[in-house]
Amino acid sequence: MTRHEPPAKSRSRRLARHVSGFVHDYLIALPLGCAMALVWANTLPDSYFQFAHANAFFVNEVAIAFFLGLITKEVVEATLPDGALHPWRRAALPVAAAVGGVVASIASYLAFVQYVGEYMLAGGWVASSAIDIPASYVVARLIFGRHPAVPFLLLLAISVDAIGLAFVAVVQPAGDAHPIIGLGLMAVAIGAAAALRRRGTRNFWIYLIGPGTLSWSALYLAGVYPALALVPIVPFFPHGLRDRGLLVEPAPEAHDTLTQFERWWRFPVEGVLLLFGLVNAGVPFHGLEPGIWAIPIGSLARPIGIVAAAGVALLVGLHLPRHVGWRELIVVGATASIGLVFALLFATAVMPLGPVLLEMKMGALVTIAGAGLAFLTARVLHVGRFGP
Amino acid sequence: MVVSGLRSAVHVLTLALGAAYMRGQALGRMRKYGPWLLATLLLGLGWWSVAAQELSLPNAQNSVKFAVIGDAGTGDSPQYEIANQMTQFHRKFAFDRVIMLGDNIYGGQGPQDLVKKFSKPYQALLDSGVKFYASLGNHDDPANRKYPLWNMDGNQYYSHATKNVRFFALDSNQVDRRELAWLENALKSATEEWKICYFHHPIYSDGGTHGSSVDVRVLFEPLFVAQGVSVVFAGHDHIYERLTPQKGILYFVEGASGQLRRGDTRRSAMTAQAFDQDLSFMLVEIDGNRLSFQVISRTGATVDSGSVQRRQDRTER
Repeated sequence: MTRHEPPAKSRSRRLARHVSGFVHDYLIALPLGCAMALVWANTLPDSYFQFAHANAFFVNEVAIAFFLGLITKEVVEATLPDGALHPWRRAALPVAAAVGGVVASIASYLAFVQYVGEYMLAGGWVASSAIDIPASYVVARLIFGRHPAVPFLLLLAISVDAIGLAFVAVVQPAGDAHPIIGLGLMAVAIGAAAALRRRGTRNFWIYLIGPGTLSWSALYLAGVYPALALVPIVPFFPHGLRDRGLLVEPAPEAHDTLTQFERWWRFPVEGVLLLFGLVNAGVPFHGLEPGIWAIPIGSLARPIGIVAAAGVALLVGLHLPRHVGWRELIVVGATASIGLVFALLFATAVMPLGPVLLEMKMGALVTIAGAGLAFLTARVLHVGRFGP
Repeated sequence: MVVSGLRSAVHVLTLALGAAYMRGQALGRMRKYGPWLLATLLLGLGWWSVAAQELSLPNAQNSVKFAVIGDAGTGDSPQYEIANQMTQFHRKFAFDRVIMLGDNIYGGQGPQDLVKKFSKPYQALLDSGVKFYASLGNHDDPANRKYPLWNMDGNQYYSHATKNVRFFALDSNQVDRRELAWLENALKSATEEWKICYFHHPIYSDGGTHGSSVDVRVLFEPLFVAQGVSVVFAGHDHIYERLTPQKGILYFVEGASGQLRRGDTRRSAMTAQAFDQDLSFMLVEIDGNRLSFQVISRTGATVDSGSVQRRQDRTER
């Protein structure tokens, strides 16, 4: 295997310089919020749950839309020339592997729920398929440096979460939904965003206040998770001609709408992520059911599905990226077992408040152990920084 | 209580002697004591069967009478023994409904499981016209809310009423805004004097395994307090517990009608009475403004009883 990475000692520092401020913020704000929530929920549970329930709607269904908007921005840029998703056929094998990962996660989750007889958890199967994109990216960079396995992992993670978000939109608990009105309103929102783009509107606030608000209302009325509101709107933001790479700092000279959107929202989203951790990660350690292991079991099965699906894809003629072999693929799969915040996000999207959601949240937090699994696998297989 | 306690002790002793006899026979060591042990066993069981099943409830003619079971559906012999006790008591205390506190079926949830773990053990009661009104626990398949014998009519949460009592069967597994809005409206519009809520996860409990579900408490309790709920039943912890009234509301945990966690009670200042040595079920009677309760173990012994005035803080024993 050709080695691309710099010496291991300086890798963490180099990584810190190259990844975007968005990832830095993510890695500070979220763990801080989660830690505060865990301490609070286990010391003063009454006041914690009053706070968490009072703020759950604003944080989980409104504010987090801007985080998902920033993630969408990364995906949109990845489809530009030089981007990881350009041209689309480059993504064929990661998408195939993603399908395998999703199927393995969901099947294992449901099998485990059946095994422990906690049938109320079955409705939360979507959460088992989530991959924490920024966290798995950082772990992959620490293991691989600038190896082609890293963009492969990002493509895989984005594909898996895109499938998951589509499921979230479909399996959202039906409320007093008005799907026809919601669908009509969404068409108006997308039409308005397209019209703004055609007119050359560059101010992102106009996209957010107009089509963004319409999109949120459309999803809310349709009974679909409304925090997805910016996912169909952000692709209409005017953007640069080329991509500098996923989750990297934007060029100082870039002033396109997407970049302005990222620059303005980066710090507020840091606050949103802190709040997200604070509102959602507070789980009492006492009295949990075996069901907390359902999401970790699904996450552990994901590498198997990824490797198996990649094997099938290779058999039908697709190709792995250069310098990515089976050992790297297995380590990528292990890295993709980190569900963490995206699993939390999906869980809160599909499961109402209550003890079942608490079990899922604890399971989502437990998937941080996937980072250890990734390092262990890399060490055993002598991959990346553990290579010869 | 003294008599029932003595009866329980004798029953446990006879069972222990019976077990020792069986073991002694198997080992071939205690055969010479066999006749004595057998005689003691038979006498004890005989006395127990005659003396057990004392009803301590007023059993007034026009009162509301119901039974309470929780975490029952194992399909194992202890569930059947509790069901038999319920049938015995039904002969002298004709309750017309049973409220179920969730985990009504453990393990497999298919049609044959519904027979083995529900309709067969409670066949005699069903045949007598007793209606079961279920709430669902974390081990229940949500699809079973359509099971006709549970009278949920496919609803996650619902209410039913008789005379001056309205029951609210809630879903504590997943509490969304719609359920809370429904509950508030249903409590507000209820004209009955007694409002009784029941669901699976106890918002107050001294069970060592689970304890109080605080996340559910902050959702439900403000509505209970504001809308005049008098009594709340929950399961989940596999013990029986009566708690001291919390904000004027009487709370019971009855999660031991099929499963038992022996010795799982962690007594605290809010424990009024607890029983975690055997399976149990509850009988409840409401006559005017007075609610009386009797908790009965698998042996037929009364392990707790008392009465309370509607929306009063002091339980009279």
